[in-house]
Amino acid sequence: MSLIDDLVKLEEEAKELVAGADDAAKLEAARVELLGRKGRITGLMRMMGKLAPEDRPVMGKRANEMRQLIEGMLDERTTEMKAAALKHALEHEAVDITLPGIRPQIGHQHLIKQIIEEAEDIFCGIGYTVESGPMVDTSYYNFTALNAPMDHPSRSARDTFYVVDNNPGSVAHPEAHAHGESDVLLRTQTSGVQIHTMESQKPPIYMICPGTVYRPDTADACHLPQFNQIEGLVVDEGITFGDLKGTLDYFVKCMFGEDRKTRYRPHFFPFTEPSCEVDVSCHVCGGKGCNFCKHSGWIEILGCGMVDPNVLINCGIDPEKYTGFAFGIGAERVAALRYDLPDLRTLMTGDMRFLNQF
Amino acid sequence: MRVSYDWLKTMIDIPEDPKTLSDEYIRTGTEVEAIDTVGESFDHVVTAKVLTKTPHPDSDHMYVCSVDVGDKNLDADGNPAPLQIVCGAQNFEAGDHIVTAMIGAVLPGDVKIKKSKLRGVVSMGMNCSARELGLGGDHSGIMILPEDTPCGMPFAEYVGSSDTVLDCEITPNRPDCLSMIGMARETGAIFDRDFHVELPAIKAETGRATDDELSVEIADEGLCDRYVARIVRNVKVGPSPDWMVKRLNALGVRPHNNIVDITNYVMMLTGQPLHAFDLDTFAERDGHRRVVVRAAQQDEKFTTLDGEERTLDAGMGLITDGERPVALAGVMGGMDSEIEDDTVDVMVESACFNAGRTSHTSRDLSLISDASIRFERQVDETGCVDVANVTCALIEEIAGGEVAPGYVDVFRAPKTIDSIKLRLARVHAICGADIEPDFIERSLTRLGCTVERDGEDFMVTPPSFRPDLPREIDLIEEVLRLWGMGRVTATIPAAKNHIGGLTREQKLTRKVGEILRACGLNETTTFGFAAPGDLEKIGMSTEGRGCPVVLMNPLVAEQTEMRRSLLPGLLQSVAYNEAHGTPNVHLYEVGSLFHGRENASLPKETKSVAGVLSGQWSEQSWSMKYRKLRFFFGKGIVEELLAQLRIEKVRFRPAEGEGYAFLQPGRAAEVLSGGTVLGWVGEIHPEAREAMGIDEVVVAFELDLDKLIKGARNQENYREFSQYPAVEHDLAIVVDNSVTCEDLERRITSAGGKLLEGVRLFDVYRDPVRVGVGKKSMAFALTYRSDDHTLTSEEVEKAHQKIVTKVCKGVNGEVRG
Repeated sequence: MSLIDDLVKLEEEAKELVAGADDAAKLEAARVELLGRKGRITGLMRMMGKLAPEDRPVMGKRANEMRQLIEGMLDERTTEMKAAALKHALEHEAVDITLPGIRPQIGHQHLIKQIIEEAEDIFCGIGYTVESGPMVDTSYYNFTALNAPMDHPSRSARDTFYVVDNNPGSVAHPEAHAHGESDVLLRTQTSGVQIHTMESQKPPIYMICPGTVYRPDTADACHLPQFNQIEGLVVDEGITFGDLKGTLDYFVKCMFGEDRKTRYRPHFFPFTEPSCEVDVSCHVCGGKGCNFCKHSGWIEILGCGMVDPNVLINCGIDPEKYTGFAFGIGAERVAALRYDLPDLRTLMTGDMRFLNQF
Repeated sequence: MRVSYDWLKTMIDIPEDPKTLSDEYIRTGTEVEAIDTVGESFDHVVTAKVLTKTPHPDSDHMYVCSVDVGDKNLDADGNPAPLQIVCGAQNFEAGDHIVTAMIGAVLPGDVKIKKSKLRGVVSMGMNCSARELGLGGDHSGIMILPEDTPCGMPFAEYVGSSDTVLDCEITPNRPDCLSMIGMARETGAIFDRDFHVELPAIKAETGRATDDELSVEIADEGLCDRYVARIVRNVKVGPSPDWMVKRLNALGVRPHNNIVDITNYVMMLTGQPLHAFDLDTFAERDGHRRVVVRAAQQDEKFTTLDGEERTLDAGMGLITDGERPVALAGVMGGMDSEIEDDTVDVMVESACFNAGRTSHTSRDLSLISDASIRFERQVDETGCVDVANVTCALIEEIAGGEVAPGYVDVFRAPKTIDSIKLRLARVHAICGADIEPDFIERSLTRLGCTVERDGEDFMVTPPSFRPDLPREIDLIEEVLRLWGMGRVTATIPAAKNHIGGLTREQKLTRKVGEILRACGLNETTTFGFAAPGDLEKIGMSTEGRGCPVVLMNPLVAEQTEMRRSLLPGLLQSVAYNEAHGTPNVHLYEVGSLFHGRENASLPKETKSVAGVLSGQWSEQSWSMKYRKLRFFFGKGIVEELLAQLRIEKVRFRPAEGEGYAFLQPGRAAEVLSGGTVLGWVGEIHPEAREAMGIDEVVVAFELDLDKLIKGARNQENYREFSQYPAVEHDLAIVVDNSVTCEDLERRITSAGGKLLEGVRLFDVYRDPVRVGVGKKSMAFALTYRSDDHTLTSEEVEKAHQKIVTKVCKGVNGEVRG
């Protein structure tokens, strides 16, 4: 038998050995057997000395080819086994992906805060600031400076929570009050923040003021003694009723949807002139008229108007130089409209089932 | 204000379709709440004839009648059949023509007529009185119609009462629109049309002059600007003519008798409230009677004509005859002086009472009348005499009265009305629309103003019935609303020279909420109100919280003050959830607190953030084992919040003492940043929980939001990470139970030097045998790293040994092997 024959035989044996290795250890044993220092290839190479010098290069070349062939076989087998092992492992790890995921617990923002932040973002986006004021305020800021007549019904203890005055007559702008009323009250509207803002800032003023207000309405499905308004005020040179319309149209479209229409109905408020109420087209019927909108096609959402010159004068602003507009919208009303809330009291109970919905 | 379409049509040309008029009203500022068809309620109400009347077998005051309703009821063969109706009225006989409401009729007041059994006898309808049909006050029996009335005629057709009524909401600045004339004028301005009203005039004056028999004195000038009185003698009190009843009904005014109806009718026509007194009830002295308008005395009693005795406050207005009161000025007449069937002589009052005083009287007595609504919005003082004359003319015409010559008129100070300059440029500047000068002139003129051109501007004198138009801006509003707000082009102001956006405080406040939600808490809101003693109830000290802000007019006993902590409200929410089968509660609230001050009118308002945790994060699931939420969950949230806000030098120290009696001792901590107390975190004391009706353990925290925002630091500049590997070494040390984790960490950190990068507690182990009684093993993972080289094991060993030695010595501990 020649060395060449040995080589041919080795190839056959190597194939069998590699194919027969069914785990990593057997494959390693095969590699040692074939390619190791005491392996078959090495053994053959050692026999080279016995060959005629002229045959050696041929034999050397064949032996090297054989080595490469075997290495290739081993590599191929390794890859095959890895793939098989991975396949097995993956099969083993497969799960029922319909089992519930492990969810992080993220809290929910209160519905009214969501609406307030949304409004803040809309108005900040067109250059407004967000202002605030005290909730326990004086009748001057809540009524008088806003041009409400001294005998206006909204001042009565039926419509306003009054607070025991611990130092009567000490507030700025003290006033005479009927029985059961005082200079100090829980603000019934965020409009007083208009005055606070105009007293502390000079025009141009572009602001909104979301905030909690209080009125002596017994809590029921449609009323809460505590609710939230979003007040807006702009005072600048050259502000027109058209600016009021454009701004509120923009707000309504951002808040309720681009397809919603608006309607401006003249109305009366003491602190704006001209005043109006804004209706938005009914989302239920699209404006055709249905039970929800009492067949009018419209839903009232906010009150607004051009700032009354008396209000500007009360704040030391020249109404000939500056004009402005103001508006107020009820956050609970927006919530009730957008989410069809049947009972506003659910907003105040902290019911986890309710909070988790929004 | 209910506006009758038929009545309005007699004054002005209006669109056929009421919807068109309604739309125009809404467009120009008169809200129309409903378009009613009066007469609709007469469906299934027909004229009928009583065929037989027999006593009810089981009642001594009811009758069983057979009533012919013509072809409105048919038998099986299609022939007219009479109805059997049980009737309790006493004023009718067989053969009388009557009005019958058949099954299916719905009468005013939502009275539904159904088949019924009255003491065992079936009744197929109801014979109606005028009052039941909403036609008048006569309830003495059923309506008897003339003998020639056909049977089975729909009643609406019979009375011809079908009318359309626009139910209008008049804004408080428009007293003029609380009258048909006012609405006609408004309609004329909207459509640019004339309107016409024919007012009756007095035909003859006879007898003693009014001012000879009567004098008027206004004792309290603040009550009354003008008082006009006129006498009509020998009236015949009786029902009003049908046309007047119909108009009053349409406007929602219940008819009484002709005299009262006339005063109401003229009020609805002109907006001037009137009152008719029975003159004989006025005290007479030497053939002379007096009217004195004066303020009531405190607690003076007076019975109004609705029969109710009212206790008056000082300052409310009274009309008296000089001896006793006869009417509550501007609000309601008196029981004793009202017009009765036997009234002969009438005194008509046409006055102008003070708006504010009337409003107060009406509100304080919860007595709102058609008169008070008009007076509190201010009536036109210039119209009192004319309106009195129209009223007397109608009494003369309808009730056959004899009008006494002349009238008494006490009119102290007629108001002057200044003319106003209206600048065209200003109109355009306010409206943002180029409204044509002709439109401005025409509209204001239609509204009753006198308008003169002044170059391109106008001089405008508003009419006396428009007290709401004293300024240029008021005129601009009139022009704009008539021109059409919808026509103004929408623009958005450029907000030049103004920078908007949220302030740092506002952004941080939002961030606090975001962090707490990321921690798994739901945001809630609770009432700003508080119950008295709400803090004491749970053992929370009121120290440092100011005195309560107390409401003068609370609605309910649980809401008489303003809150000084968010905790009571949140605990209520926990109790609410527990009671509603939701044991796992995680809530936070950001809200205002109110701290009253002894000698100041206004309280201090602060912002607070608080949270409550009860139960566990979630119900058990296949993948996670949830633990009960206890102290360290709350503390962890507070730690995370403060870390995210980059608040420095955060410390927790045991919350002890009376100030924290609402927390469970040993499971409560005060939260500090340096020396500033930010708030607390801890488990609510079981007794406090019991007081709130909560079974489960509650972990809570409350932090001063203003202090958090003040202490929050901005993000610092980027810092390079070390490029070299860290070495971790554990240290388990056995110490006395009293040694705190904070103490150990501080000692480790201070002994660790520059190489010690981090300390992390990973185990606390107690075992009387292995660790020892009263001892615990605290195991820390210490991380060593250098910024500039790879640490050698010698370096690490040296640093670690230093820590071990120093700490063991410091706390008398030993390393656990």
